[in-house]
Amino acid sequence: MNSHPYLRAFLSGIFVPTLILPIFLAVFIVVRLWLQIPVPIERGLVFPMALVPALWGLWNMLWLGSHPGTHLSVGLHGALLPLLLLPAGTVAARCLGILALGSHGVTWFQGVYVPYALIAPCFLAALAGYYLVWKYIVGFLNRVLGIA
Amino acid sequence: MNANDELRMKKLLQQALPPVESNPEPGCDLWPSVLRRLDARAAAPPWFDWALVAGLIAFAAFFPASIPVFLYYL
Repeated sequence: MNSHPYLRAFLSGIFVPTLILPIFLAVFIVVRLWLQIPVPIERGLVFPMALVPALWGLWNMLWLGSHPGTHLSVGLHGALLPLLLLPAGTVAARCLGILALGSHGVTWFQGVYVPYALIAPCFLAALAGYYLVWKYIVGFLNRVLGIA
Repeated sequence: MNANDELRMKKLLQQALPPVESNPEPGCDLWPSVLRRLDARAAAPPWFDWALVAGLIAFAAFFPASIPVFLYYL
């Protein structure tokens, strides 16, 4: 179990998003094709499906490589990932036309309105969620795979 | 298999297998450390993590519009 630690770190990092994305896909198929709801969800799936799993894996590899020097816990390391995902996802959403900036808030998927006042609490909630997921799920997988 | 072959086979096996030490047991009892590790894994999450979970659930309940945005960023 001492060989290829970075490969094991990548695999345990991508576990959560690759487990959830098929559920996304099923919801997308139901909403888009069965219920005929005209929301451009397929454009919204590009970022989470193409980029997020790889970023999780690479982020866990980075934790493994930097941990001897930083001694940062895996939960706190994971909580830093939204700092990278938020600007990347926002740029992707703007380019794909699923995010419209208004005078009082942003509109997602041409239907979900989020006021600007709610963005900071949303971001803090994302940090908390990432902290918990990385501490308990990714940390558990790292222990199981013998890299933590 | 004649006696010569048996001797040769015995010699080959002795060469292939490492000699067993005179005292093959570990220096200390490993069972207490196994129990400690099992106990450490079974430890309950701290109150701070429960508070975060409650906060997240409350946030999603009060602002359901944020859920698809969370799912987008995952």
